[in-house]
This record gives sequence, structure tokens and C-alpha cells, in this order.
Amino acid sequence: MMQKPQGRPITLATERFVVRSLTPADASDRWCNWSADADVMGPLNVPANRMSKDQLARYIAHHDNDRAYLVGVFTKAMNQHIGFYMIELNKTHATASFNLVIGDKHFWGKGVVNEVRAALLDEFFERRGIEKAYGTPLARNFPAVFNYKAQGWKLEGIMRGQCKSVVDGSRLDQYHFGMLRDEWRARKEAAR
Amino acid sequence: MSAMSTSRKLLAEALAVSEHDLPANPRIGTIEQWDSLAHTRILLALEERIGKPLDPEVAVAIECLEDIARVIERHA
Repeated sequence: MMQKPQGRPITLATERFVVRSLTPADASDRWCNWSADADVMGPLNVPANRMSKDQLARYIAHHDNDRAYLVGVFTKAMNQHIGFYMIELNKTHATASFNLVIGDKHFWGKGVVNEVRAALLDEFFERRGIEKAYGTPLARNFPAVFNYKAQGWKLEGIMRGQCKSVVDGSRLDQYHFGMLRDEWRARKEAAR
Repeated sequence: MSAMSTSRKLLAEALAVSEHDLPANPRIGTIEQWDSLAHTRILLALEERIGKPLDPEVAVAIECLEDIARVIERHA
């Protein structure tokens, strides 16, 4: 079988976190527990089903650090894995979609999402050729929506009934938020 | 009670601060306690107050006290 080309793994540090590309060795019982937690998976409209470590390792291995990234968030203090970002690139259009899970509930409401995403936006905009980032949270995922707005992403549209709830089959609305590279640079410049 | 004073009360409770500690027109980014979880509490309290889920156009536009008051007023 032909090996998929592997890109450059990510390794970054923010004030409180280490952010790095995950490998199959990062599959853990802790992470398996997140996959079974409806509070964690519900806002993503993903069914809460416990994954085994083998399943998780295979899922991680699908990410090539070229077009698909799976990036873990680890505390600097304890090297504790608390969540991850899934980032998919469209190189033709120089866009990147951002999705994330903070699995450790102790870190909810602690500003993790935007601290880490700022470092990732710098990385993809300045070193990986991306010109636009976007995210599509469910409209009922209020914390995610707050974070996009607080970080200055632009609301580009509301996709009514875009997907079907895995819980009850109802149609769910999604927002489309976007951030252009120039907007991000201008925002950082204004903050100096 | 006016929509504005109802909104101040709702906001203070969601942010777990006293009404006296709120600035004149608190908004996202100007008050530390208004984080992602507080924002969720605000929107859920607002939905409870008006008795129905917020339309996505309305929910995403809520950024300050006046926005909350406007929703309450519209559903009075």
C-alpha cells in the first residue's frame, strides 16, 4: 500500500499550553472517555460512543499534517492532554476549516480556545500559506459562538437546518464564521 | 420593571456579580466575567424569560446589555 505523504508536524507554545500534532501514541483512556461523554460530543452533533484506544489510534493516523491536522492541547504545568483541534486545508483555495474539542471540562470557560487558536492562526496564516480560516459551529453551541465573536471572526452566514441532530433527528442551524489573513494581521497590529 | 432593568438583573445573575458592579452598558470584551460559559447562561436565561428558543439571527447578535433589553422588550 502506498504511504500517504506526511507533512510538517506542528509544535507551538502559548502562555499556558503546548500545542502539537498528535500521533497514534497519544491515544489514551482519558481521550476515550471524552468520546463517550455527551456533554463533550453533543455540541459537535457527534454521538457519544466510547472509542477504543485502537480505534482512536487509527483515527489519529488518518491525519497527515499536510491537508489534515489533528493537534493536541497540553497543559505546560502538568503536560496534561485537555483537548484537540481538527484542521483541514484546501490548498487550491488556501483555506482552513477549524474544529475543536476541549474534552477536559475543568478547562471550559478558561479561555483555552482562543489562546490556542490565536497561535494556530499565526501558524497557518504566516507559515503554512493559508489565506482564510473558517469555522461552522452549531447555532446552539453558545460557548463556541462566543469564542468566535470574542476573537473577531466575521459572521458570514447562517445555514438554516444545515444538519440533522444525531439525538432526535431535528434539523439544526449552523453559523459560518470566517477570518481572512489580512483581518487577523490587522487585529494583531491594532492590539499592539 | 423596565426591559433595561430586567436585563441588568438577568445579566448580573448570569455573570455572578452585583448589579452595582455592572458598568452602564456592559458588553462582551469590557467585563471579565462575561466569558463563554457566562454567555451561555445569559442566552439560556433570556430564552427562559421569553419562553422560547432564540432565533439564530437574534442569538448571534447579542453582545451587550442593550441587545438583551431589546429582546425582552420585543417579547413583553
